[in-house]
Amino acid sequence: MQFDDQGRVNKSKKRAVFNQPEAKNRVELFRHLPQYEHGSQLTDLESKFLELDSMHPAVYKVGVQYLAGDVTGGNARCIAMLRAFQEVINDYSTPPGKTLVRDLTAKISSYVSFLIECRPLSMSMGNAIRFQKSRIAKLPLTLSETEAKAALCNDIDRFINEKIILADKVIVRHAATKVRDGDVLLTYGSSCVVEMILLYAHELGKQFRVVVVDSRPKHEGQALLRRLLAKGLSCTYTHINAVSYIMHEVTRVFLGASSVLSNGTTYSRVGTACVAMVAHAFRVPVLICCEAYKFHERVQLDSICSNELGDSNDIARVPGRPDVNSMDNRTNEKNLQFLNLMYDATPSEYVSMIITDYGMIPPTSVPVIVREYRREYLLI
Amino acid sequence: MPDIQALVSDLASKLRKRRVQGSYETARLTAELLCAVILQHKEPTTNGAASLIEAVRRVGEQLIAANPVELAVGNIVRHVLHIIREEDLSPLTDIVGELKLSAEDDVEDIAEDENSQKSSATTDGCLLKPPLLLAVFEHLPDSATACQTFSSENIFAGKADKSAKKLKSELIKAVNELIEDINTCREGIAEQAMELIHQNEVILTLGHSKFVKEFLCAAKEKKRSFEVFIADGAPKFEGHILAKELDKKGLKAIVITDSAVFAMISRVNMVIVGVHAVMANGGVIAPAGLHVLALAAKKHDVPFVVVASTHELCSLYPHNLEVLLNEMRCPSELLNFEEFSDCIDYGIASSSSLLHVVNPAFDYVPPELISLFVTDIGGYSPSYIYRLIADYYSSEDLPPQQKPAS
Repeated sequence: MQFDDQGRVNKSKKRAVFNQPEAKNRVELFRHLPQYEHGSQLTDLESKFLELDSMHPAVYKVGVQYLAGDVTGGNARCIAMLRAFQEVINDYSTPPGKTLVRDLTAKISSYVSFLIECRPLSMSMGNAIRFQKSRIAKLPLTLSETEAKAALCNDIDRFINEKIILADKVIVRHAATKVRDGDVLLTYGSSCVVEMILLYAHELGKQFRVVVVDSRPKHEGQALLRRLLAKGLSCTYTHINAVSYIMHEVTRVFLGASSVLSNGTTYSRVGTACVAMVAHAFRVPVLICCEAYKFHERVQLDSICSNELGDSNDIARVPGRPDVNSMDNRTNEKNLQFLNLMYDATPSEYVSMIITDYGMIPPTSVPVIVREYRREYLLI
Repeated sequence: MPDIQALVSDLASKLRKRRVQGSYETARLTAELLCAVILQHKEPTTNGAASLIEAVRRVGEQLIAANPVELAVGNIVRHVLHIIREEDLSPLTDIVGELKLSAEDDVEDIAEDENSQKSSATTDGCLLKPPLLLAVFEHLPDSATACQTFSSENIFAGKADKSAKKLKSELIKAVNELIEDINTCREGIAEQAMELIHQNEVILTLGHSKFVKEFLCAAKEKKRSFEVFIADGAPKFEGHILAKELDKKGLKAIVITDSAVFAMISRVNMVIVGVHAVMANGGVIAPAGLHVLALAAKKHDVPFVVVASTHELCSLYPHNLEVLLNEMRCPSELLNFEEFSDCIDYGIASSSSLLHVVNPAFDYVPPELISLFVTDIGGYSPSYIYRLIADYYSSEDLPPQQKPAS
């Protein structure tokens, strides 16, 4: 939705489930994206728990988890949402005078708009929702209600199993062949697939070191670092500013992605583009590990037309630095603004190879996969 | 000179403990200290300049050893040595004029040999000035002493006391000019702001540099309106300080994280940064994160402008700089030790810990990524920097630890 169109914004506010005050000091370049005051959202939503009788508690729970940031990462968010939808379908009963197909689709749509209010959809979630709606639409009319519900729940299980869990296993097996003894592998932030690859390669007995690059404000790399150290991997931890210092030791770069677009651009956590660019400058191969269900037919040239804006207070507030923190009460000053981008677009020339469950492909083959295999998974 | 030694030890310990940091501060303190050294130096009547050079070099070695990464110290020491050598040569210009006519044929073939061996450190200006002849004599290893005694005996014979005192006073004047230059270099830089920033410009910078701030504020005062994206420059977070200062001056500032520089660079017109030191090949030593920014700017063809003053200009060439001239800061700036204390275990299986934390302070940016240097003496491209070296430093002083042949 375009947030620079005032009429649409007002309409959506009327339909909104909970109150979200807009941020007062918005960056002009990003007027087309939603920017909210993050302080009061969670308490507001929690207070509305008993009022939302039209909202299924499972979906509400997932929404709160998104808002609080407890569930992050494309795969985790997608699985949480689909499991919630499974519960919705199980508890669903067709009201009199309505068909299951239309009513259920309308219900799912309303839940989806609630989830969007909590946190804008990731591309993996968008693809999963499209799959879900197409499955509902394709239900044969001869099925009874219980059979239809069972079929839909089965479809969701198959989707999660085939597209996410088994796909991850295939990716891990492919990628482990790319890890040799004596390698120094670099990763950025925390991607569940890359973590699985590193742990699997370690189990296979390969000798390698890991460099974990991290950045503000979320410091997602620290959680990954802790898990890798617990399994006994030798790790180096650094900040993204030092990536050109450390890159001369690195032999391979493994990165995760939120999505890969049809022009070969990788859409992932902000900072990935910097890491890929420096790796390219030092002639280090960059491997993106991404399940095929995250591919999208959209195209994007830069990181500005489509992005997600996070809490600007996360940038303003620096934990443990009182001299710098005297600024955080100034987030509403006219001249001073804070911009917290969540994603960025990595151009395809920086990526050497994309490892998917369909194999190891170059970035130029992504539209081929989208075209050839999209039909297949819609028909399962 | 006991009191001088005390001053030197004081400054050296401040440098060692990192109480004094930043090229401007260290340059100013070093220049003032060297001024005091020259003032209190008791020199012999003949060859006063050489003993002064020796004294300054000894002080310089102590200071440089205290903090080898702070290149401004070495720059000022070498600059003062260059001033001493120049002042030493200049009273002889009029005398050399007479000498030249008589000794020309002897000198010419030697001069030709020397010119072919000469490093590119001498400028075009030097070649035109008569003092070159004496400088030529000073460089020659075998005939140097002979010529020097020749020159000093014949020329200084009648004018020993007068020229020694004159030398000292000239030196003090020159070093005071140097200190003045260090203090006022910002104005020279800020004047050029109008030539580079146009209306409605979008500028990107990283961290905090006083020169960049002066540069931007000067443009703002002349009524150019533009906005500035500032990357915060973790783990020092100096970008926040710059944003605060620009906000006070009424400039539009937007703070972003360092990871977002690639995302934003496509909408930026110019990148303006301040650096720690400029190397002789035109490369720079800059705060960590600037190499990433320079690469991104190159990819999008955004001009990368470096704002530096001449006391940051270093006569060293970079070789393996990431390792040799880098300083590792405390890892606790990146990782909280209390949170990770369970992961930092020593002595299991292998003898080293599993976790290493790397926090370099500086980055090296090669000259191919830099578009322009804005200094207090004007704007230059990176390929010209090696010529500026000759204006400020003499080739005998590179590096000061080595004893040259003369």
